[in-house]
Amino acid sequence: MATTAPARHAFRTAATAPTPRRSLRPGLAAAIPAILAALIAPAFTPAPASAQTDPRVLEIIDEVDRLMRGESSAGVMRMEIDTEHWSRSLELRVWSLGTEHSLVRVESPPREAGMATLMVGGEVWNYLPNVDRTIKLPPSMMLGSWMESHFTNDDLVKESRLIEDYDIVISYEGPRAEEGGEEPGEGEAIWEFTLTPKPEAPVIWGRIVQEVRQSDRMPLVARYFDEDGTLVRTMRFSDFRVLGGRTLPTRMVMEPAEEEERTVVTYLELDFDVGLDAGFFSLRNLRARR
Amino acid sequence: MSGTGGARRRSGSRALGAGRGAGRTNDGVRDGTVRDASSGAAARAARKGSNRIWWRIAWRNLWRNRRRTVLTAAALSFGFVAAVLMIAFMDGMVEEMVSNGTRVLTGQVQIHADGYRPERSIHDTMGGREGIDVAGTVAAIQGVEGVGGVAPRVYGGGLVSSGDETAGAVLMGLDPAREEAVSRFGASLTEGRMPSGRGEIAIGAAMAGTIGAGLGDEVVLVAPAADGSTGNDLFAVTGIFRLGMGGYDDSYALLELATLQELMALDAGRIHEVAISVTRIGDSDAVAARVAEAVGGGEAGGLAIEPWSVFLEQLHFMTSMMGAANAIVALMIFGMAIFGVANTILLATFERRREFAVARALGSSGRAIVRIVLCEGLFLGLVSLAGGAAVAIPVVVFFHEFPLDLSAFVGTYEMVGSAMRPYLTAEYSWDGPLVSALALVGTGVASALYPAWRAVRIPPADALAGR
Repeated sequence: MATTAPARHAFRTAATAPTPRRSLRPGLAAAIPAILAALIAPAFTPAPASAQTDPRVLEIIDEVDRLMRGESSAGVMRMEIDTEHWSRSLELRVWSLGTEHSLVRVESPPREAGMATLMVGGEVWNYLPNVDRTIKLPPSMMLGSWMESHFTNDDLVKESRLIEDYDIVISYEGPRAEEGGEEPGEGEAIWEFTLTPKPEAPVIWGRIVQEVRQSDRMPLVARYFDEDGTLVRTMRFSDFRVLGGRTLPTRMVMEPAEEEERTVVTYLELDFDVGLDAGFFSLRNLRARR
Repeated sequence: MSGTGGARRRSGSRALGAGRGAGRTNDGVRDGTVRDASSGAAARAARKGSNRIWWRIAWRNLWRNRRRTVLTAAALSFGFVAAVLMIAFMDGMVEEMVSNGTRVLTGQVQIHADGYRPERSIHDTMGGREGIDVAGTVAAIQGVEGVGGVAPRVYGGGLVSSGDETAGAVLMGLDPAREEAVSRFGASLTEGRMPSGRGEIAIGAAMAGTIGAGLGDEVVLVAPAADGSTGNDLFAVTGIFRLGMGGYDDSYALLELATLQELMALDAGRIHEVAISVTRIGDSDAVAARVAEAVGGGEAGGLAIEPWSVFLEQLHFMTSMMGAANAIVALMIFGMAIFGVANTILLATFERRREFAVARALGSSGRAIVRIVLCEGLFLGLVSLAGGAAVAIPVVVFFHEFPLDLSAFVGTYEMVGSAMRPYLTAEYSWDGPLVSALALVGTGVASALYPAWRAVRIPPADALAGR
């Protein structure tokens, strides 16, 4: 399910898997809760405070933290992947608990239906219905793309842990209409957070710049730069509407900087407080066909 | 005219201005008549074959002092043998490096779609989306002169999983029978056999250790397919190979060509690479050109047909460096020889000052003197070459047939993906000895330049007077 480019011949998979900046911490948290986290809050989740990080940032994070703690959710999303060579659309059913547990199952297309990914803490398993086998993803594969999309296993996981690995400062504050006229935040007051990796952080980005709307604290755009300062890809958030009783960006577009490609994730359904506990996120449930 | 008499007469006439003048007049008259006769003969000789005379004079001069000439020629011969042998050994090392670097996996010539390298995208198959007539192309290449083996290949990236362990892998789809003439996978199997069809896979020994899979065990393969889907299937390990170098053992997984195509949703005509082995590594460039002629254009257009020097850049760089080092050492050998030989020829010309003076006095032109001395240098070079070749050829043949085993001093080592055995093998080549031979003869001539110039500058009168 999650596949990647092995080191020696550098085969490029459909997704642009960036090279690791430093060695990856073995075992990283789940990818999909991170999507949720990114949806619900601008990617800031509970973590120990850092002296380098702006106190106002921490305040915002605290607020998000209160919303997120112990949160369970269930939903349906559509993932549309456009590449140079093919386009496809996947429908996914997603369950999550906090940021440490999640389960994603492919509903369609038929060829992949039943494929599922379970993420618990730092570990990731994939279930392959064709051969009725579960494989555990090695840490070295975290940079591989998830279901051939432009999301990698790793970078989404990283969203949930940004505060641990990065120093975060508010690099701009106030109205800005830069991110193109299409952006809903045009001319609105925003915060621009700049995230730089902590000295020993096992991260792949040189810098992340994230814009958050001040009025409702909705994320607008996140730009990812490599360590040379080159833009690698951009994630845009849009279609802010009420889903499951909360206002969320229900559409996320991930675009690599180099190619004319994109992955669009749209939430179709989402419910909170669905009463899941950690036991739900088991290998047995990973295999269960619905 | 005797030298001592002439000198005496001249010293006598020096005191009397009138007598000197008269003597000069007489000499002039006498010289004039002689010159008329000699210049007529010289002109005739020049017309008929003066060159032969100069050659003969030079040749005789060369052997005037046999021992000196033999010693000088021996020095030059030794330099030639040293240069030829060194180049042969270097060529042997290069051959060994290139052979090891290309025979393991890559072959000496490869064909890809334009732009396949270096990204190696699964989509960049030969002939684009439509693919090519694989069997036809392979047959066409097989018929090209100098081609040893032809192997079509498909590549992909994926995961190989067994039990709880999963490893990333380079998936290689191949034709096991055809690979035998190109790569060493088949020969390096430590267990089992090459995959021959559906549900079969061969993996490297290191990977087998990593994922804990043995012969006959079931592994799961997951690979992104060309249509964006995720191919996955169960395979049985039918073979385990150990190439022992280049990291292949921990990253390569081999499948039968059509099986991998199916897993990755590629049509049968879509392959990424045709690897070609050549019968003589030195001919790689020429074979690549001939293959390009055979398959280029037509439906197979848009192909990059490259010899190993292109797709194994590092190896090529290494071997080029060794070639350059060769040239520098050869330059040093002959550079040193030039000065030694120049010294000898210079001595030889000084010994013959009077001779040159006579020739000058008899009307030889400066050019003729230069020609004689240069001819001597040329002959010296040729003689040395004959002697050097007589020694060098058997020595090179010997070390070609019986490589020098240095394993007592150094172990096998690996560089730029090419293992080297500690053997010094002399490799035959034409350009090495040819260049050395030219350098040798050039050295002979070059070392005669300065003596020749000195010989021309000998003032005839003073030399004849013993001054």
